[in-house]
Amino acid sequence: MASEKELHQGLFDAVVDMDEDLAAELARQVIDEEYDAYAAIEEGLARGMDKVGELYEQEEYFIPELLLCSDAMYAGIEILKPHIVREESRERHAVVIGVVEGDTHDIGKNLVKIMLESAGFEVIDLGRDIKPQAFLEAAEENGAEIIALSTLMTTAMPAMKEVIDLLEEKQQREKFKVVIGGGPISQSFADKIHADAYAVNAAEAARIAKELVGISQIARKTA
Amino acid sequence: MSDISPKERLDRVLSGKPVDRPPVICPGGMMNSATTDVMDECGLFFPEVHKSAEAMARLSSAVQQRTGFENFGIPYCMTVEAEILGSEIDFGNHDCEPKIAREYYSHCREVVQKNPRELARQGRIEAIARAGYEMSRSQPDIPLIGSITGPVSTAASIVDPMTFLKELRKDKENAHGVLDYVTEFLIEYARVLIESGFSVITIADPTATGEILGPKMFYDYAVPYLNKLVDAVHGMDTHAIVHICGRLEAVKEPLARIHADAISTDAMVNLLDIKEVRGGGTVMGNVSTFALQLQGPEVIQRVTERLLENKIDIISPACGLSTKTPVENISVMTGTVKAS
Repeated sequence: MASEKELHQGLFDAVVDMDEDLAAELARQVIDEEYDAYAAIEEGLARGMDKVGELYEQEEYFIPELLLCSDAMYAGIEILKPHIVREESRERHAVVIGVVEGDTHDIGKNLVKIMLESAGFEVIDLGRDIKPQAFLEAAEENGAEIIALSTLMTTAMPAMKEVIDLLEEKQQREKFKVVIGGGPISQSFADKIHADAYAVNAAEAARIAKELVGISQIARKTA
Repeated sequence: MSDISPKERLDRVLSGKPVDRPPVICPGGMMNSATTDVMDECGLFFPEVHKSAEAMARLSSAVQQRTGFENFGIPYCMTVEAEILGSEIDFGNHDCEPKIAREYYSHCREVVQKNPRELARQGRIEAIARAGYEMSRSQPDIPLIGSITGPVSTAASIVDPMTFLKELRKDKENAHGVLDYVTEFLIEYARVLIESGFSVITIADPTATGEILGPKMFYDYAVPYLNKLVDAVHGMDTHAIVHICGRLEAVKEPLARIHADAISTDAMVNLLDIKEVRGGGTVMGNVSTFALQLQGPEVIQRVTERLLENKIDIISPACGLSTKTPVENISVMTGTVKAS
């Protein structure tokens, strides 16, 4: 029988090694052995994904690897999630994310979503080619603290400013933190349109999001 | 050499021969040069023009005259290939180029291979070829560039791109199968264009970047199929330019192995570095499209002059131009090159 610690290490390795089947198998063992599901996600899967984020920033891993690692993480989470013991006191932090209007490139947005989820955020993914109004509505509806905007196209960059302008117009600007990112985006562009932050990549987006909501460790949303 | 035609100038540069000054071009496709300013002036608009040979020929002529670019470049988007291969296209609007609405296949293994020669007779290819035939005959001194979407980008436009990227690792056999098939089709498409009078083929492969794929996959998947396509274009006695997006630090070594007559890159790349890794050779670029859209004439002139000082062989925008780029800004760029 594997110890709880061994299982956590196994889940960590399964994520880093892109092994979806192994992640699912080990997650089932966690349940069978009646270990804590929440701890298995935190100490195993999410920590593995943190490591993957590091490898990505070090250019050991690239996007195909990151996607396969996240598949392994989700395969484990899927099994563990229904077994998390609910603790009402756990804080909820939500992010609304989408590719701005005029652009359909969503690989970068999907990576950010993965890293945010592995950091414990609840992510409301609006998809691609999203109108400014839709970001605002979704953020209000879901009580989100952060609006994350992505684009790959210089053409769509003005649409990021439109979202921020809309928030100002509706006097909602103070309610949400706006984080932007994507191929052509820079810190100076973020400053120019008065975004709250610019994230250079998906791993940094998750770190920034945590800073913006003022916590270092987020309690995972219960099932 | 002062009365050299734009076509001869580009031809000489791509052959590695000396010229009086660099050509200043914008190849079309991903780097579409039809802006709303020009469309408003000539009364031909996206999205209607994408399907009409006559409209494309007229609009391209207007673009060339108003912007000062020394070439024609069509089509104005990167969806011609994916449309023929089955994907659903959103033709966009006045301001926005066509884009992929939905990829046709979920997995590489599902891709049904059809006859590439047959495919090259479908969709908008005929209209593009007819527009090119018309332009190449009415204005033989202006180089006519056919812009093709690269193999990896085309494959990721017919198979769901997230799945496609994963299957580069998980299902190598079928991923290679799709890329090979797509490349065969692109070769036949290039053949139709060349036979219709296109003088240069530009291949833009924005999904095949070092940042997305990393060096190993760039080497395994981007280089061989780009080279297969470039070699076939060379076999038809035509020059090929390859545009690679994004930062290139991770893929310098494989980049040196691409057989293109010129490599075009994004604005953040120092083209002199690319020259160095390729042991000389022709480079093209890379006036920031962000600057072209949002900065004033002084900045654009300065950026262009720096490229001229660095003896960049071909001056062009670094990436896809926004359709809202002011035509005056483009004129500053082309004028600066022509005055050099």
